[in-house]
Amino acid sequence: MSQLTEEQTAPPKRVHRQRSATQWAVAWRRFKRNKSGVAGLAIVIAFVVFAIFGPLFAPYPPRSTESLLQGQAGQPPSWKHPFGTEINGIDVFSDSIWGARNDLWIGVAATAIATLIGLAVGALAGYSRGVIGGILLGIIQFFFVIPTLLLILLFSRVFQVLVYQGFGVNLIVLILGLFGWPGISFVIRGEIFRVRELEFIQAEKALGAGNLRILFRHIVPNVLTPVIVLASLLVAGNILTEVVLFFLGFGPANVATWGELIEEGVQYVSVYPWVALFPGLLVVTLVLGFNLLGDGLADALNPRLRE
Amino acid sequence: MSDEVLLEVKQLVKYFDVFSRGVFTRKKVGEVHAVDGVSFAIKRGETFGLVGESGCGKTTTAKVILNLEDATSGTVNFEGRDVFELLKSGKRSDILQIRRGMQMVFQNPYLSLDPRMTVFDILSEPFIIHGHIGRSDWTARVYELLTKVGLEPYHAERYPHEFSGGQRQRIAIARALAVEPKFIAADEPVSSLDVSIRAQILNLMMELQRDQKISYLYISHDLSSVRQISHRVAVMYLGEIVELANTDSLFEHPLHPYTQALISAIPIPDPETKRQRIILPGEVPSPLNPPPACRFHPRCPYAQEICRTVKPVFEQVDTDHFVACHFWKKFA
Ligand SMILES: Nc1ncnc2c1ncn2[C@@H]1O[C@H](COP(=O)(O)OP(=O)(O)OP(=O)(O)O)[C@@H](O)[C@H]1O
Ligand code: SF4
Ligand SMILES: [Mg+2]
Repeated sequence: MSQLTEEQTAPPKRVHRQRSATQWAVAWRRFKRNKSGVAGLAIVIAFVVFAIFGPLFAPYPPRSTESLLQGQAGQPPSWKHPFGTEINGIDVFSDSIWGARNDLWIGVAATAIATLIGLAVGALAGYSRGVIGGILLGIIQFFFVIPTLLLILLFSRVFQVLVYQGFGVNLIVLILGLFGWPGISFVIRGEIFRVRELEFIQAEKALGAGNLRILFRHIVPNVLTPVIVLASLLVAGNILTEVVLFFLGFGPANVATWGELIEEGVQYVSVYPWVALFPGLLVVTLVLGFNLLGDGLADALNPRLRE
Repeated sequence: MSDEVLLEVKQLVKYFDVFSRGVFTRKKVGEVHAVDGVSFAIKRGETFGLVGESGCGKTTTAKVILNLEDATSGTVNFEGRDVFELLKSGKRSDILQIRRGMQMVFQNPYLSLDPRMTVFDILSEPFIIHGHIGRSDWTARVYELLTKVGLEPYHAERYPHEFSGGQRQRIAIARALAVEPKFIAADEPVSSLDVSIRAQILNLMMELQRDQKISYLYISHDLSSVRQISHRVAVMYLGEIVELANTDSLFEHPLHPYTQALISAIPIPDPETKRQRIILPGEVPSPLNPPPACRFHPRCPYAQEICRTVKPVFEQVDTDHFVACHFWKKFA
């Protein structure tokens, strides 16, 4: 054994102290450069503000037919009814505001449920080897290939008829959440296959970390990036499904959603075209917003493109 | 270095199953003989070098020793206790004790640190797992570890992506040191680093050995670094150890034709001394179907009929010098 020279052993150059840029800060910087992503974020924030504070200014309570008694049914847009009224005198502007709240809630809450289920199932499927992993994969594939929309319609109807009517929008939240997770599971499972072979996972094993610590403290945080993107797209998807559900007449009765307004509006589209027009525009805008946001996030968070 | 054995590897075997890729079926079509009957012992405070060409099974040997991959067969004893047995069916406290004793530093420092954790979290996690350092002492200990490996305390708040390869390898070494191990398997710890950084890391390892009596399994295909830091060296070819000796005998009197070829390929700094470079014909054969008998025979310049039919014994030819070749006497 020989010693190495003095010069070779010099300490590394001192790095000047600076605030450490976290991974999230780096991603945010990238995100800000993407115009359509920022536009998507702006749209989403605007709708969230609209949904939270709008009801304070809504002229009428949800599904209120007050105007009918005043002979104001089926009126075109005016100062009193900016989006007009529909055939039962419901103020389209008020219900659009209440609808924003309900639709955002449906989109976000159902996505939260689907994401949690998707994460748990996908993580276990990706981390367990052998039989359990195979069974979980089978379950994911099953839920992936069944015609989800039909089942959602069926469940919604069966539940309201046979079990209980008073669930309102939360029934939709639950059903969309319970059927919306397989896509996320697939992605998580694949990501876990990739990450669990990386050497920092083996380093954890060598340190004596238990399986749960490895899975939830090290693997899951490293696969969250695509989940954030997928979740953003799923919110958009859930809002669209909500509209379809009500449009086909499978939604719970007497809740103010955009889908409900559109369904009523389309029936009388030749006489009262404004009834479907305004909530339709809102749906399109918000869905577009979440899609742009999702794309922007995908670009900003993609480690393969990271500088 | 003492004479007391710390780690003993006996007849270690690791085969990887190879599957054909059907759409619905997975059929086993063969086995990669990555490690095939490897035995050696490492003493306390010793650096044991393991050399060989790419793909000969060095990394697999290290990972199997630490049970990061399951062994196909064979045993590893650490301080006289059966590692695989304890990790498989021992109490949690036994498992943790084994894990604290043996650590690994990986080849690629860009893959071996969790990108989502700060250096502080990376270095304090061993304290959480083993509970050997009270929470109030974490900061002091993390700073101490960073200083020990030549980094600065303020590096603790940073993320791995903010460091160079050499600095990351220092962090990886600090993480291994956090559990106060007696043995570290260092898998090509410097091969992915700049030449100028390599000496620093190797010196750091030697310093740590002097201060803390750590034993190393030092894996490398760079023979000069192996010569610099190892007390004894084993040469691996296609999953088997073909020669094992103390560093000086191995480099001065290599007895196996493969070792001779490897050594002849080391660049000599002094152009005056000429050495005949032995060029091996052919490629390293696939570990899927290793050649029978002496695995080196298709490339060995001295191969005879017996080499193709009879496996050479791994025999002791001197104090601390073992070789597996029918004709080693020719080279002695
Ligand atoms: N997970 C695995 N599945 C199948 N084969 C593997 C696996 N890991 C390693 N191998 C094979 O086992 C053999 C030994 O690999 P190993 O990584 O141990 O070699 P090495 O000596 O460390 O090489 P290098 O110098 O390139 O790091 C190689 O043929 C490799 O392809
Ligand atoms: S046993 Fe024969 S083939 Fe093998 S290394 Fe010795 S001489 Fe060469
Ligand atoms: Mg290797």
